[in-house]
Parts: sequence; structure tokens; C-alpha cells
Amino acid sequence: MAQAFVQLERLNKSYGPVSAVTDLSLEIAKGESLTLLGPSGCGKTTTLRMVAGLEKPDAGAIRFDGKPVVSIADGINLPPEKRNIGMVFQSYAIWPHMTVAQNVAFPLKVRRVDAATIRERVRAALTMIGLGGLEDRPATRLSGGQQQRVALARALIHEPALLLLDEPLSNLDVKLREQMRVELKLLQARLGLTLIYVTHDQSEALSLSDRIAVLNRGHIEQIGAPRVLYEQPATPFVRDFLGKSVTLPGRVKSLAAGRAAVALAADGNAVIECAVPPGLDLAADREVEISLRPEAIHLANGQAGALHGIVEAVLYQGERSECEVKIGASALCVYLPAGSDAAPGDKIALAIEPNAARLWAKSSGVA
Amino acid sequence: MASTSPALPQPALSQPRRTIDPQYAVFLVVLGIVGLFVLYPVLVILVDSFVVGPIGGARNWGLDGWRAAFTDPTMLSAVRNTAKVLVANETISLPSAVLLAWLLARTDLPLRGTFEFAFWITFFLPSLSVTLGWIVLLGPQNGLLNQIALALIGKEPFDIYSFWGIVWAHISSSSLSIKVMLLTPLFRNLDAAFEEAARCSGAGRWMTLTRIVIPAVAPGILTVLVLSLIRAMQTFEIEMVLGPPFNFWVFGTKIYVLVAQVPPEFASATALAVIGFIIITPLIALHRWLATRTDYTSITGRERSQPTPLGRWRWPIFCLVALLTLTITVLPVTFLVTASFMKLFGFFNIASPWTTSHWGSVLNDDFFTHSLMNTLIVAAGTALGAIVLCSLAAYFTVRSRYLGRNLLDFLSWLPFAIPGILLGVGLLYVFLGNPVLKLLYGSVALMMLAMVIAGMTLGTQILKTTILQLGAALEEAARTCGASWWYGFRHIILPILMPTLVLVGVINFIAASRDIANIALLSSNTSKTLSLLQLDYMVDGRWEDAAVVSVVVMLVTTGAAFLARLCGIRLGVRG
Repeated sequence: MAQAFVQLERLNKSYGPVSAVTDLSLEIAKGESLTLLGPSGCGKTTTLRMVAGLEKPDAGAIRFDGKPVVSIADGINLPPEKRNIGMVFQSYAIWPHMTVAQNVAFPLKVRRVDAATIRERVRAALTMIGLGGLEDRPATRLSGGQQQRVALARALIHEPALLLLDEPLSNLDVKLREQMRVELKLLQARLGLTLIYVTHDQSEALSLSDRIAVLNRGHIEQIGAPRVLYEQPATPFVRDFLGKSVTLPGRVKSLAAGRAAVALAADGNAVIECAVPPGLDLAADREVEISLRPEAIHLANGQAGALHGIVEAVLYQGERSECEVKIGASALCVYLPAGSDAAPGDKIALAIEPNAARLWAKSSGVA
Repeated sequence: MASTSPALPQPALSQPRRTIDPQYAVFLVVLGIVGLFVLYPVLVILVDSFVVGPIGGARNWGLDGWRAAFTDPTMLSAVRNTAKVLVANETISLPSAVLLAWLLARTDLPLRGTFEFAFWITFFLPSLSVTLGWIVLLGPQNGLLNQIALALIGKEPFDIYSFWGIVWAHISSSSLSIKVMLLTPLFRNLDAAFEEAARCSGAGRWMTLTRIVIPAVAPGILTVLVLSLIRAMQTFEIEMVLGPPFNFWVFGTKIYVLVAQVPPEFASATALAVIGFIIITPLIALHRWLATRTDYTSITGRERSQPTPLGRWRWPIFCLVALLTLTITVLPVTFLVTASFMKLFGFFNIASPWTTSHWGSVLNDDFFTHSLMNTLIVAAGTALGAIVLCSLAAYFTVRSRYLGRNLLDFLSWLPFAIPGILLGVGLLYVFLGNPVLKLLYGSVALMMLAMVIAGMTLGTQILKTTILQLGAALEEAARTCGASWWYGFRHIILPILMPTLVLVGVINFIAASRDIANIALLSSNTSKTLSLLQLDYMVDGRWEDAAVVSVVVMLVTTGAAFLARLCGIRLGVRG
């Protein structure tokens, strides 16, 4: 990673007896887009607000470009306005008493930029976000999507060193959300923004970020590129939070050269081979779990080692069908092609892609 | 934003110096001012209840005041009478107000906007003026309605100088209208889906109202009721005019008499006031608890729902509401104005009863012109002072996490519980005891200060509600845009609050221009206001001149209310 632009160092924050963030450290490179992802109450918004200066950590430090903006040990805590950031709020926080142009111009006004420059830059910014010509519209007469764009323009117009986004798309409808996702990605690439993005929507996180930090109960479970997190989750929490996965209990049949053959509890005839992750202490006959992504499971065409189950429910999704399959005491989610005519009650044979299964210690405690 | 644009002046991320937070400094100043002018008078009152002897004479510690408060039957009956008026008043006005608020906010009642405006105006009519109007109509012997009844049924059924006369004057002057004003926005902001779900579940209009709508706003109704209970200790003018003729005293008037008599009985008056605090403090706590429990999420402001149709009841209900509205607005006002043109106040049966001579003599009196100027100055100053103090106090109570913000919140409640006349006494002590402040004694500045303090509770509460509903993100957005706290407060918070601030200003302007209790002891001959002049005339038996001044006071207050309404101001939550 390049020289860290933003450093969070052992941040702690609690509200009364409730600890929101515990010993959280991470680094963000210049031009990087990092997502804080996690369920509600995991501490992601608190972390973002500490970066913004809207919350004061109980302990720890945050550095921008090597200089501390908050450092509890040194008694430093810069207020938000001294941190040169831009922030988009979940509610957009578009000021109702101002026009679109006045909202966007505010950061420049605060910085005493002359009126002509302000006018020119606001016009350019509004054109860029596709709201050109709406300068004098009262902010209250904007749709949700338009408000979102205005909030974005306002957060960017003063060319902040760091852009913070707090669930900016969660109040938009699905269509608009997908469109804004593309626009954000393009904008970030074009302006080379460093941004921290908070969301609980995993597909938003996967598609928008260079790296994702998955947060759980105030600490980072795993941090890395979206693909790494998706394909090689380090903890059961990350595995279950990112995308769909199914876990099946099984028993180690044999071990050889870092690979294990696992017999599934649900269907003793089915044996699945998978790599033994480093640090997992295994012996033959040990009870384990394997996890699978639905997209790694296909209909079997008579090959050996297939899983046999019964279709329980079929959820038609247009481009595919999601199919719940019962195998012994376990249930699996399988994606079937759109043309499939599987119906509840049908017997079904499934094959698993080689190297798709991941091995875990038994009972989702520790990986 | 475009990369070609010139570089902006960016705040340097230099090492910050440890400086005093300007926000904290402002907070301390507000807390200090409120502490000095609220807490100190209260402490003076508390201490004084244990002091015996005249001011200026030999003063010793003693329990005479307390002994009197608990043994003097007239004191006990004053507290009892306060409770009786309160119970009778609330039993009638609260259910009526709930029903009226629902009719105005949720149904297709014709002219509901006009009715709401009528209640708004009613609230701002000075209660002394309304009471004068009712005396003309319901007074024994000469009261117009009594004379009509005498001609029709041969007896006089009404007597305004009675328990029920006092209750009626309360209901018609402000008790009903303030509840309607506070409750209507509550009903209006209730999520229409609650009602629609009830109707879809098969409930009729009445069942939906009684089982769903009213329970849903019940916390709000309870809050309004508790507010009225707290306020009951403050009632003064109506009882001061209507009570003494039949020897009926309540808490406020009893304290006034104790203070105003010669020699004054400060120990008893202050002891009585302390008893008032003791009764009121748990009510304030209850109110605060209720207010924090109110779940704002259930009130969504999605209001553009279809009004509930009243069906065949629509016009009968319209007639009833119209009759009530006319009764509490047009009727007393008309007869007050009428009385100001009478040779003899309330005497319709003398030959050629009309004259404009009272208007001529009062308007040409320099004393009147001077009092009018004083009124406008005190009212305008109070409005400005209240806007500044209340907005800061409300802001810090809601938004800051400073140690002492709870104290500030509590202090902002205290003036509500202090009878006006005692706040006046307390402030008098504070000012006379300090060589610098002493210079302000008798000036309009002191009266402004008393009115700002007296009106602090209502103004702060109204602003707190609005700030709570604004949410923190609006100003946090300003901070992240680079604005300092003070810059954001001026450019974001204040402009958004503007309609509410104007409302607080108007309420305080009106309160100051009609107030008697708070400033009676603080004014001098040169700083007298119109309402004090009016009271002087009444005490002197110059009822006709009092009526003239009363009409002028009414014009000032309703004029301010009209202006505010023209600016689109409503009480409570904006839609």
C-alpha cells in the first residue's frame, strides 16, 4: 500500500457502558476508496463521525497526511471545520431555507471565496451532477435523488482532501440507487478522491470500494479487497455477512498435502475436497463444517459424488431461480438457470465446483 | 471541483492551540445570566420566607410566615380555591379542546382554517380585556344578558362575580384556545396511516377517533394538561378583578395582596410561594419525563391525507363550533368596545348612553401617550431578548453535552412556576442589593428583563421541540463544510428556526404588552405601561377609561398576532 493518507490508531469510543468502537486501527491510502461495512450498531457510523470530528474518541488518534487531527493522548481535537473534509449525510441534510445553489455554495462562502468564482464553480458542479439549471430551485422542492446529488456537490465543491459518505444511498429507491452507485464510482475515479464510505449494504460495498473493512461489535473482523473478502473470508462473520453462503456439517475422511476430504453429514456418499486453511488444526475423523457460495453449486449430470436432495421451494427471480434444496437435515440455496423447470418435491442431484468449498472448524465459533 | 479551477484557500492542518471553545464560553454566559436572574430571586424568596420584620426595619429569623401559611384559614382557602377553579376549568376545557383540535386538524369541517385563526386571536386577547367585556354582558343588575333575561323570564340568571364566572372567564379567555393551539398540530402531524388502518379494520369514525387517534396523541394531551396544572398557580388578573367582590382569593391574588398591603407580609407571601414550588416541582419533573418519552417517530408529518368526512354531522357541528368561536371572540370584544363609548360603564338603560368623550380625554392625555410608548418599548425589547435567550438556552439543552445543561434546562422551567408578582419581588431584591444594577431600578430595562425571564419557559420549550425535530445533521453538515460552530449557528440554525423565533418573539411581545403581575412592582411613574394604567383606572373606579385603554392594549396584542399570522407563523410544529 502507498503511504497512508488517513491513519486511525487504536480508536475507542463508548456511550456510557456500551462500547461502540474498540481499539480500531486502519490506514487509507491517497485516492483509495474504503468501505466500512457491517450490521447496524457495529460502530461503522461512529468511526466515520470520529474521522469527521463530529464525535470525540475516548482514546486513540487520527492522522491526516501524518498530522494528527485528533489525538487524545496529546490533547488535540480539531473541530470538523478545521479538517478539510466533505461529508454526505444519510438524510442528506440539505438546508431547507436555501436554494440549490446556496446549499452547494456554502463551503466556498465559509472560505470567503469571491462571488464570481463561487457562481462559476457552483454552475460547473451542478452541471457535473446533472442538475444544471436548477440553481434557484428551493432545496425543499427536490426529489430524493436530486437531494442526494446536491449533498454530494456540496461535499465536493471545496475539493476536500477526504470525502466521507454515511449510507448515502440507503434512502433511494432500488433503480436510483444502482444508477447513483455507477455515478459515484465514475466520479471517484475521475477526481481521484480519497473516500470513506459507510454502508450496511454488502453489494454497495463490493461494487464501490478498493478495500472493505468489515466491522462487528466495534472491531474490524477483516479488511481487504472485495474479492479477497468474498472468496476468502477469514471469519464466519465475514463469510455470512458478505453474500449468500451455505454451511454444511461434515467429517474429515482423509488428509493429504494440505487438503482434506470431507464426508458430508447430510449425505455420507458425498465427499468434498477442500484446502485446509492455515492455522486450522485437523486430524482424521474430526467434525468440521464446509461453506459454499450458491453460485458454486450446479445441477449434476450423473457424475459421481453428487449430492442428492429434494426441492423445497423455488423463488423465481427473472434472470435465474433461487432454489431451496433439502439434503438430509441441511438446507442449501442453489441458483438454477432461468429455463429450469424444477418444482417443489422434485428430486435433484447437485455437483460442487472443485476448490469452491471452504473448510471451517465445527460450530461457527472460531475459524 | 473541476481540476482546472484555481486552488481554494484551505484551512491548514496545523497543530492546534489549546483555546477555549467559543461554544462553551457562550454556554457559560447563558447559564450565568439565567442563574443570576432566575435562581437568585428564587433563593431570595426561599430565604425570605424564614425572615420576620419589615424591609428596612429590624429583620430576624423566624417561622411566622410558615406558621401563617399553614394555619391562616384564608391562605388554605386560597390554595383550595386555586385547585377548585383548576379542576372545573380543565374538566370542561380539555375534552372540548381535544375534540376541537381533532375537528380542525383531521376533518372536513367547513372554515376550519378560519376557526383555527379565531382561536389563535383569542389566545392573544388580554384576559383583562375579555373579562371587562364579560362584565358588561354578565354583570349582576346591569349585565346586558341579565337585563334581556329579566325582560324575558323575569329573573337574572348570570353573575360574573362568582366561582363559575371566574371559570368561564378562564375558559373563554385563554384556557381553551391555548389547548386548541397546542393540540391541533399534534393531530395534524399524526400519521394518517393509523387512521386509515383503523378504518380498513372495520372501525367507524367515532371508534377510530376514540380508540386510535386520541390514544395515539395521548402523551401529547397529557403533556398539555400537566402544563396547565403548572400554569394554574400563575393565574392572577381574572381573579383579581372578579374575586374580591365575593371575597374569593386564589394563590396568585393572595400573594399579591400580602405583598401589596401596608405593611406588606413578605414572610407569609414567600412561604406561600415556596409551598407553590413544592407543589409544582414534581409536575415539572413529570412534564419533562413525558416530553422525553414522546416518540417522535410515530409522528411523521405525512399529513396530506384525506380529511375524515363528518357526513350529515358536518353542518350541525359547524354551527356549534361557529357559535362557540363567536362567543369567545366577537362577543366580549364587541361589548368591551361598546363599553368604551358609554357614558357609564355597562349602563345601557340610561338616556342617551353613548359618548366619545372618554376616548377623547384618554387619547389626549400625555400620560397615555407615554404609557403607549413604554408598552411598545418594553414589548419590543422583551421580544428581542427572549429570542436571543430562549434560542441559546434551547439549543444548549438539546444539542450540547456540557456539564450543567440539565441545570440550564431546569432553570428554564423555574420562571413558569414562580407567580409573576413574586418574580417581581425577587428581581427587586436582586437589583436593589447591587449598586450597579440599582441604577436600572424603575427603568424599562428592568421590566424587559423581568418579562424575558417570565416568558423564558414557553419560548425555550417551543424552540426545544423545533430543534429536536430538526435533527443534528443539518448543522453537522455545516461543520463538515468548514463552518465554525458560531458561523453554522448564525447561517444554518437561526434561519431555519426563523419562523419559530418570530413566533417566540410575538408571544413575548404580546405577553409583555398585556402583563401586569410581573412588572407591577418594578415600574415607576415614568415607566408605566398601558396595562398598568388600565389597572390603575380600574382601581380608581374609572371603568370607562379602563375600557378605552383595554381596547388599545387589545389592538396592540391582536395587531401583533395578525402581523405574525400574515408572515405565515403557526404555533407548534411546522407541517
